[in-house]
Amino acid sequence: MLSGDLLVEARRRAGISQAELARRSKVAPSLIGRYERYEVIPSLERLRELLRACGVELSFRLAAVDASDHDRVLIERELRLTPAERLRRGLAAGRAFGSFPEHDGGRA
Amino acid sequence: MTAVEPDPLEILRVLERHRVRYVLIGAAAARVAGAPVVTEDLDVTPALDRANLKRLATALRELDARLRSATEPEGVPFPVEPELLTPAEIWTLTTSAGYLDVCLRPSGTGGYDDLRREASSELLAPDLTVSVASLRDVIRSKEAAGRDKDLAQLPLLRRTLEQIRDRELRRRGR
Repeated sequence: MLSGDLLVEARRRAGISQAELARRSKVAPSLIGRYERYEVIPSLERLRELLRACGVELSFRLAAVDASDHDRVLIERELRLTPAERLRRGLAAGRAFGSFPEHDGGRA
Repeated sequence: MTAVEPDPLEILRVLERHRVRYVLIGAAAARVAGAPVVTEDLDVTPALDRANLKRLATALRELDARLRSATEPEGVPFPVEPELLTPAEIWTLTTSAGYLDVCLRPSGTGGYDDLRREASSELLAPDLTVSVASLRDVIRSKEAAGRDKDLAQLPLLRRTLEQIRDRELRRRGR
């Protein structure tokens, strides 16, 4: 479930407030906040409209289900660790494998 | 004599000791949030006020920061002065404690003040608490950067965010 996070991401990328998004998409301002906090889950169609009002398009791709659940298991394992343990393991793996130097500013 | 492995957390300790205001960003921030991504370097976004940049420059000098170079393994020395730091978008550095990228204005974000809003304070070692960008903001920036390597990580980062949200909603009884 990612609708609320997609909405926040799109709204912040557009640099607009919840009130402005509400105005553009003709919904109550309080509803935008409820969508973003997962108190209300928008329909797919409503989510597309809201994202368009932020200037982005929701794109779709049907992918096969990962039957091994590989990523889910890995993530669950990470989430059971403390933040410090996660970072320590991530950096240790980075040292072991090496990573390519990055030369531009695309990250946060 | 055995070579001592660099400890990238020492970079953060030095920044903290010099009271630099910054947010940990990038793959390291994603890892702290729970995304199983691998990283060798740390990325930080500092506040851009002059006093902070002065503290940052002092910390970088203590870390013997040099420009990272494919041809010079030791890095290329450069004058670490506050006024020289600001015009660049990013400084890709090698330090005595490992790789550090100082990213002044990460793609798709408004920089430190924007990222600080949703950042959390995380205990990364018994003596080290650091401000870490939210996974949502890491995703926002990687999406905006649009580089192949960023886009390749996005499905895993979004999947992690989804699992975190599912856990939260289950906890809230939804």
